[in-house]
Amino acid sequence: MKISYHWLKEYVAFQLSPQELADELTSVGLVVADIKPVEDDFCLDIEVTSNRPDCLGIIGIAREVAAIAGGSVHFPETNFVTADTSISPLITVTVEEPILCPCYSARVIRHITVAPSPEWMQKRLQCIGLRPVNNIVDITNYVMMETGQPLHAFDLDKITAHKILVRRAMSGEEIVALNGARRALFHDMLVIADGKKPVAIAGVMGGKETEVSEVTRNILLECAQFEPRQVRRTSRALGIASDSSYRFERGTDYDGIDRVSQRASRLIKDCSGGEIANGAIHITSGRHETKKITLRMEWLHKVLGTEIKSDRVLDILKKLSFKILNDTENFIDVEVPSFRSDVCREIDLIEEVARIYGYNKMPIKTSISIRGHTKNRYEIVEDHVRQFLIGLGFYEVKTFSIVDASPLQSINLWLDRTGIEIVNPLRQEESRLRTSLLPSLINVKLYNLNHGTEQIKIFEIAKVYLAGNKLPLEKNCLSLLSDADFLTLKGVFEALLRNLGVVSLCEWIPFNESRLFRDGRAARIQMGNDLVGYFGEASQELGFKEILCLVEIDLDVLVEKVNFAKKYLDLPQYPAVFRDLALLVNEEVTWSSLEKCIIGTRVDFLKELKFFDVYRGKQIPAGKKSVAFGLCFQTKDRTLTGEEVDDAQQMIVDTLNRTLGAELRKAVTV
Amino acid sequence: MVDKLEAVTRNLHEEICSIDTRKEAEQLRIKYLGRKGIINDLMKLIPTLPIDRRADFGQRVNSLKSEFTNSIETLLQKMSVQAVPAVKAELFDITLPGKPLSGGKKHPLTQTIDDMKEVFANLGFEVAYGPEVELEYYNFEALNIPADHPSRTDFDTFYIKDDVLLRSQTSTVQIRIMEKQKPPIRIIAPGRVYRPDTVDARHSFMFHQVEGLLVDEGVSFADLKGVLYQFIKGYFGQNVQMRFRPSFFPFTEPSAEVDISCSLCGGKGCSVCSYSGWVEILGAGMVDPNVFKAVHYDPEKYTGFAFGMGVERITMLKYGINDIRLFYENDLRFLSQF
Repeated sequence: MKISYHWLKEYVAFQLSPQELADELTSVGLVVADIKPVEDDFCLDIEVTSNRPDCLGIIGIAREVAAIAGGSVHFPETNFVTADTSISPLITVTVEEPILCPCYSARVIRHITVAPSPEWMQKRLQCIGLRPVNNIVDITNYVMMETGQPLHAFDLDKITAHKILVRRAMSGEEIVALNGARRALFHDMLVIADGKKPVAIAGVMGGKETEVSEVTRNILLECAQFEPRQVRRTSRALGIASDSSYRFERGTDYDGIDRVSQRASRLIKDCSGGEIANGAIHITSGRHETKKITLRMEWLHKVLGTEIKSDRVLDILKKLSFKILNDTENFIDVEVPSFRSDVCREIDLIEEVARIYGYNKMPIKTSISIRGHTKNRYEIVEDHVRQFLIGLGFYEVKTFSIVDASPLQSINLWLDRTGIEIVNPLRQEESRLRTSLLPSLINVKLYNLNHGTEQIKIFEIAKVYLAGNKLPLEKNCLSLLSDADFLTLKGVFEALLRNLGVVSLCEWIPFNESRLFRDGRAARIQMGNDLVGYFGEASQELGFKEILCLVEIDLDVLVEKVNFAKKYLDLPQYPAVFRDLALLVNEEVTWSSLEKCIIGTRVDFLKELKFFDVYRGKQIPAGKKSVAFGLCFQTKDRTLTGEEVDDAQQMIVDTLNRTLGAELRKAVTV
Repeated sequence: MVDKLEAVTRNLHEEICSIDTRKEAEQLRIKYLGRKGIINDLMKLIPTLPIDRRADFGQRVNSLKSEFTNSIETLLQKMSVQAVPAVKAELFDITLPGKPLSGGKKHPLTQTIDDMKEVFANLGFEVAYGPEVELEYYNFEALNIPADHPSRTDFDTFYIKDDVLLRSQTSTVQIRIMEKQKPPIRIIAPGRVYRPDTVDARHSFMFHQVEGLLVDEGVSFADLKGVLYQFIKGYFGQNVQMRFRPSFFPFTEPSAEVDISCSLCGGKGCSVCSYSGWVEILGAGMVDPNVFKAVHYDPEKYTGFAFGMGVERITMLKYGINDIRLFYENDLRFLSQF
């Protein structure tokens, strides 16, 4: 809402410079975003919150200034002399939808001369950014800016059958609005119609056909109240917004309508030389009850945490035009002025008192009770994971949850559930919720590559969204991307699990998703029945020159497995015996089968099994590979003898030979 | 005999002094201390001495033996230290850079959220979460924002279905928590929120908020000021000033916006604070009685306050970042600065 500094002074006396005025208004909740000098005036751009439609007119601002600066508000002249001709034969008005139009007021002004408006009015309108059109249009704008109540002037001679009908639009009807937009109308929209067709979209915009032009001689001046939600819905549906719809949506002052109509008529008479027909059509429906509220002083003090003297409270309320019906030591009964649609409850009055009293004058209390704080499990794990990965040189990234519908982004690793589409996306690039973080990490990799960073190690902790019943399943995921090969990143993953105290064994099951992972270099990771995640080197299809490794982990599952409970184990007192073995096995024999087999021998003093390497070379026959690993034997209570270690080793080698066809290539006693 | 002992002693000293290597020392030890060594030979002479001189001679041989043992051990020890080949006298440049090792970094937005969590943790606030895809009810009606209310204009929203949307504010978590728990409540809820804003330097269709809620008996606006005062001093620094301005949020009454003195110009006025000396950092207020009604709390019994702030905005202010898009491009040259 833009206002002119000098225009404001017409309604209230104050001794504040534009900057001081701006500061004062800001401190009561009317934020002045900008002060701009315009010729000999200043334009103040005020941010009016949506609960204060009364401040969408300069008089409303003047009331606030009066409350701050202590003056009183002067209302503009509204009296005029009418012609002898009565309004009744000139126009009839019928309101078919009294709920959507609780009040409709019409006046007729005849024999006007459409001309430019007076210079003082043009200057004021220009100061607040409105373009002068002609005296009639300018006056409706001027009065709207003054009072916050929109008005509309029709060319009376273009109204068919001298008839105004406030009704719902009929199917098939359309209108060309003042701004030239042609719109089809629907039954849920309210229109102002004449004997034949809609001439205005109620509360939104007038029609082009009945617009006031240079040749207009007689006008119908409409001043009405329309139901805010109806105006808002229609304005949105038609994609037409105006200064009027902006005000109607927020609510206008029911009681002010006749006075505003008189004010505009008076100005039109003064500026256009017309004559005002005798009487007005004023159709109202329902009873508009005045609101009465009781303010308990005790509650006021309780909510604000400070005592404000009742004299001060009364003073503030009076200045804001609240009528004091009753005041005792403990209670104040007030009547709410009709323009304060936002004040309905005791708490609203408390805000009014606090606002004018000054938020910054209220005390700062630091006496809230002591309360211990505990971190929840998810938070602890998340912090831990983050800290661990950062220590290993990984950078945390944050990418958008809303992604495009490209094949890469459509990959769904989790369940056979579909992704979730947004009904009203801004652009196709952001039209669905993601089902994996990995495509976004790949995009981050590409971005960095294109900006000169060759090597990156990144991770993200965020949600993926999987279609559910009413609400989707939101799964917390941890995803990593690194310029590393499979085993290097697997090492990071395993170290992370150890760090989190996860003891469950991981099963690495071959997995194919060639849009994301390289065939034969990808795995689904399973811990018992729980799916933990997906792991693999990046697919060649992604077009990276270097090896890149990716992993996506279900963080919620991981959190379940974490165990931070720690117990000390005695350090070994007796020496360990190490044996390094190299076995010749068929290519198909996996490490995990070797591992299972060795653990299966149940040698109780086998303390550790450590993989060294896989060797394929001249000495190794085709179709075979040599797998080298170390065995560590140790007991808690004695030194192992050479013989028992030899026996155990032999037993292990024999078992591997029997079950997996492994042949001993080399054994080294360390 | 004594002469012989003295000759041996003299030779021994000469020989010890001429030793250069470990090997020579070892040989010398065997020569004197070995089974057929010189000292043993001396011992063998004892029975040939007259009885009255045996004790004295024996003592002298023994002391020679222990003296020699000590010297040779010391020598051997010295040599083992010196065994490392002497470094040639080339100049080592101690100013050369260390071997590169890059640590990772938390995303700056995570750092901001963590810092906030820490300050609020000290005030007893626990972290709470809620879904990002929400029922319309939690985003609007329960927060006292009825359908077709003009304030909904301030909360344009992405929809998934008719009554399912992407939350446009973390205030939804207030309702979720109050539905589950009875007062006292003291939580903060960090998280992602979504609004259909066209992306530019100041806007993003996804951003982060931190919401706070405290509900108990006898909580007042002065307590709200107290908690935010502690937060602002704790997070932005002791010298920062704060200012409360009346504002409007459907879910709080009275409502306030909170400004802090501009850290860039110290309140004098600059482009960051639009020459006002103040920058807005959060919205707050006393929980509206209608919100309490929605979660079946007695508004006559309980009062409380809520506050919310934009994580991107505060991070941008803190570091002087001028483009919100940088947070989501994840350029390592950006991320590594924080």
